Amino acid sequence: MTTRPDRGGDPPPRPAAPGETGAAGAVPSIPEQPTAERPQPAAARPAPADVAPAVVTDDPADGERPATRPDRAQYGVCAFLALVGALVIVDATRIGHAVSSADPVGPKPVPILLGVLLLVIAAIYAVDVARGGTGEPEAGEDVDLSSPIDWRTLLLLIGAFLVNAVLIDRLGWVISGSLLFWGCAFALGNRHHVRNLLIAVALSLITFYTFAIGLGVNLPAGVLQGIL
Amino acid sequence: MTVLVGYVPSPLGEVALAAAVEQARFRDEPVLVVNTSRGDAYVDPRLAPEADLDRVVRELTAAGVPHSVRQLIRGRDAAEEIVEIAETEDVSLVVIGIRHRSPVGKLIMGSTAQQVLLDAPCPVLAVKAR
Amino acid sequence: MDNLASLLDGFATVVTPMNLLIALLGVTIGTAVGVLPGIGPAMTVALLLPVTYGMEPAQAFIMFAGIFYGGMYGGSTTSILLNTPGESSSVITAIEGNRMARAGRAAQALATAAIGSFIAGTIGTLLLVLVAPPVVAFAVSLGAPDYFALMLLSFVAVTAVLGASRVRGFASLLIGLVIGIVGIDAVSGQQRLTFGVPLLADGIDVVVVAVGIFAVGEALWIAAHLRRRAAEVIGVGRPWMGRQDWKRSWKPWLRGTAYGFPFGALPAGGAEIPTFLSYATEKKLSKHPEEFGRGAIEGVAGPEAANNASAAGTLVPMLAIGLPTNATAAVMLAAFQQYGIQPGPLLFERESALVWTLIASLFVGNLLLLVLNLPLAPAWARLLRIPRPYLYAGILFFASMGAYAVNAQPFDLFLLLTLGLIGFGMRRFGLPILPLIVGVILGPRAELQGRRALQLSGGELHGLVGGWVSWLIYAVIAVVLLWPLLGRFVVRPLRGRLVTG
Repeated sequence: MTTRPDRGGDPPPRPAAPGETGAAGAVPSIPEQPTAERPQPAAARPAPADVAPAVVTDDPADGERPATRPDRAQYGVCAFLALVGALVIVDATRIGHAVSSADPVGPKPVPILLGVLLLVIAAIYAVDVARGGTGEPEAGEDVDLSSPIDWRTLLLLIGAFLVNAVLIDRLGWVISGSLLFWGCAFALGNRHHVRNLLIAVALSLITFYTFAIGLGVNLPAGVLQGIL
Repeated sequence: MTVLVGYVPSPLGEVALAAAVEQARFRDEPVLVVNTSRGDAYVDPRLAPEADLDRVVRELTAAGVPHSVRQLIRGRDAAEEIVEIAETEDVSLVVIGIRHRSPVGKLIMGSTAQQVLLDAPCPVLAVKAR
Repeated sequence: MDNLASLLDGFATVVTPMNLLIALLGVTIGTAVGVLPGIGPAMTVALLLPVTYGMEPAQAFIMFAGIFYGGMYGGSTTSILLNTPGESSSVITAIEGNRMARAGRAAQALATAAIGSFIAGTIGTLLLVLVAPPVVAFAVSLGAPDYFALMLLSFVAVTAVLGASRVRGFASLLIGLVIGIVGIDAVSGQQRLTFGVPLLADGIDVVVVAVGIFAVGEALWIAAHLRRRAAEVIGVGRPWMGRQDWKRSWKPWLRGTAYGFPFGALPAGGAEIPTFLSYATEKKLSKHPEEFGRGAIEGVAGPEAANNASAAGTLVPMLAIGLPTNATAAVMLAAFQQYGIQPGPLLFERESALVWTLIASLFVGNLLLLVLNLPLAPAWARLLRIPRPYLYAGILFFASMGAYAVNAQPFDLFLLLTLGLIGFGMRRFGLPILPLIVGVILGPRAELQGRRALQLSGGELHGLVGGWVSWLIYAVIAVVLLWPLLGRFVVRPLRGRLVTG
């Protein structure tokens, strides 16, 4: 068993199915993607049998998720929409009576309308989910939908982001920005720590001076005030 | 026992491969060709295209050396992969190609060859491109 | 020929050395990000919004024009060499062009795409020059009720026509509208949804929203599903075409342009449908229909031209009426607002010099792109060697820097992360992004026009209905909204009767 990735090319983002675009009759048939046309010459290269099938190869049926299991997390979206709707309405009722002859409507009706619509949409959304409706996760050039969400990477990225937000005024952009870049590269799996740090510092310095000199926008210097 | 060779599609890789074949004949052992990279760039010159690996297989078959070819792309450095195979499998010798690196280059890029030389549990044969 | 004179003035502004340099910078950045996977033109313009703070508006727009067209050029290069279309409008190019490249005709595929894009872009921009002034003349005659109706149409168009699910489209739109009303109400001075946070009183900056939703949301989404494999890139020399290729390309270029421009100019046209139409037409008219699906040059030339012409078309509603019809146009409108320039028909009057400079820079940028892309395609392909961690770390880095630079408030960074997480969730659950951003940008303006219309009627709802234009627009909205019902109860039975009869 040779462990090699399927490199036949990835299916592109699905073009709209006929009927979705309103120009159904004119949509031509799209030629098949060359996904699996190359026969695997695996037999030619016998690997030692005791090798664990190590490579995380992508599922060839990439992008097609099993549609059998309903996506219950979608109810969370409905709840979020309903919550926002309720919040908007509550906030709007607090607004005082601010109607004048120049503004017979006032600031109140629009938020109330939006809040009600949000509640309505949340309800319709829930019905749609209950009837098996799913939203298709966004595909992309670098998105591999066959893998589950990588929470570890995501949380590390958010962490790096928050570190920058907290430290930017105290330590200055050059340090906090470097930490941000370095942290993101680490979170995304790059382990060339020294190289990453050099790139991070270079990027922060370049952006700092470009903004300060070229554009007249000052990023905070922080503790390096006077040195930079 | 197996002779493991770290292969890249370049003259350096060819030299390493040739040295590995020679060693395999001498030791009467099969060759394990490993082509690996982190695979985190869209285009990676260190990863051999399919056609190139097919050619390697043909050449090894023609040379009459028992062989297997593995391409590993799982987000780990080449040195890590090679050392791990050398540790976990029955590898008698690791063959790699080395080239000159400036001190700055070594600092920034790190040296795959150095890491393999220092970390591999078995003898390592380092060859230079001619 | 008042407009011609204005256009020439615009050219005069663009052709100064400094502005040419900026145009070059714009097309270079645009092409680079077009080539790079995972970064679209909308995200790029959003990321560059803060960089342009220190620039004159005219220079900023020269740069954006370059990015706008450059992104599409770069995108077609990746599509052809890697078979990974970044957007649905380049699906066809990816398929047909990649087949050509695999058959050893990468150079010709790239050449016909680049030259076709140039021709379509140039003709499209010319059409923009011709079409925009009459549209403006018409738009100026409209009153507040008509505008209100027009914006409603824009909302309905981006939610109900584009995209697969109406519920999800409307959910996205409503989130955008809610973000839009945060802050002090301009008319009454009342605070809305600020929760007593003084930093929210000025509202949520459109730049922060655009960067958060497009850049941070996208980067987080990709990071959570990062593809860990290398693609097989097809080697390429300098793009060139033989006599035969020219002969087979020029008609598809023109036909593609003819499809692309009108669709781009329509509120919900988009670039996807015209590329499909162009492909179908070329297949039907071709003398070599058997080559289609195996790398026919017409199948690259036509759709690429359609794609670029549609991009030019989207500028008509954007500049003449202030309605964005795609994500990049929406972010560019946000840029207008950043400079305190109100988009809309009065733009041509009040900011005439700026608008014509933008249009002139579209011509110049297009030419620069052709010069830049034909010889440099192999160099662009090398960009694909950047490791993905650096790419996405860089996006988050620049996003944070830009969002912070807006107000120099760390608070904006927390806001940015929140919006990024909303963008992440929307991508996870298949909520379209465009309605949200249109809601944020057009929402406050729609409220203003609506209230202005009701002011004239003293608060009576009939004030929302003005002349025949608003009636017509409401009729269109009704048809669009009721289309699924019409489809079920009118069209389908009719078709059934036709088939059985």
